[in-house]
Amino acid sequence: MNEYSFNELTVGMECEFSHSFSIEQLEIFSKLSGDNNPLHTDIEFAKAHGYESCVVFGMLTASLLSTLGGVYLPGKNCLIQGVDISFSRPVYPMDEILVKGKIVEIFESVGQVVIRVDMYNQKKEKVLRGKMKVGMING
Amino acid sequence: MNVKEKLQEIFRDLFDDETIELFDEMTADDIEDWDSLAHINLIADIERSFGVRFSTKEVTATKNVGEFIRVIESKLG
Repeated sequence: MNEYSFNELTVGMECEFSHSFSIEQLEIFSKLSGDNNPLHTDIEFAKAHGYESCVVFGMLTASLLSTLGGVYLPGKNCLIQGVDISFSRPVYPMDEILVKGKIVEIFESVGQVVIRVDMYNQKKEKVLRGKMKVGMING
Repeated sequence: MNVKEKLQEIFRDLFDDETIELFDEMTADDIEDWDSLAHINLIADIERSFGVRFSTKEVTATKNVGEFIRVIESKLG
């Protein structure tokens, strides 16, 4: 886990990591969230509606923003203040999701960093894009 | 568009409220969603939109919309 302080952060800093979700994890997320829509847990239902397989919950994919901020950039001192995201393509179980983050703005007066976020599947297709506003717990 | 008009657009966008009409004495007490986090986002939006930078001291010393306008105008020269 990274542990950057606010003063160590600069515009242009980048990080990336990869992650995938299993069908079993989709079932767990369904129970945790109460979203039992079959698109996410019933392969036959998903295929009947034109998808390759069950579709990973968009909000589960988006949870990787939490990992990006809380573990990588800035890491331990992260306090997510807001996110603005769009889902570009469906994500399927065991897709290898590459998460890339880059600091694009820093507002020293209020201790806020803006991170551009892009996520890609193993075919290098973009599946999510957005921005995340981050403060620091010691800021 | 003058500073007050541009600032009003920023407020309306941030708070998703097209009815906001700024006045000099306006404070966080006048807008329900103007909490501490919204204040951080407001300052960042102002800095981005006007191309100016505040100091931490200026942020804490600025008490109402009228003071914001005067600080922005002074930075724009």
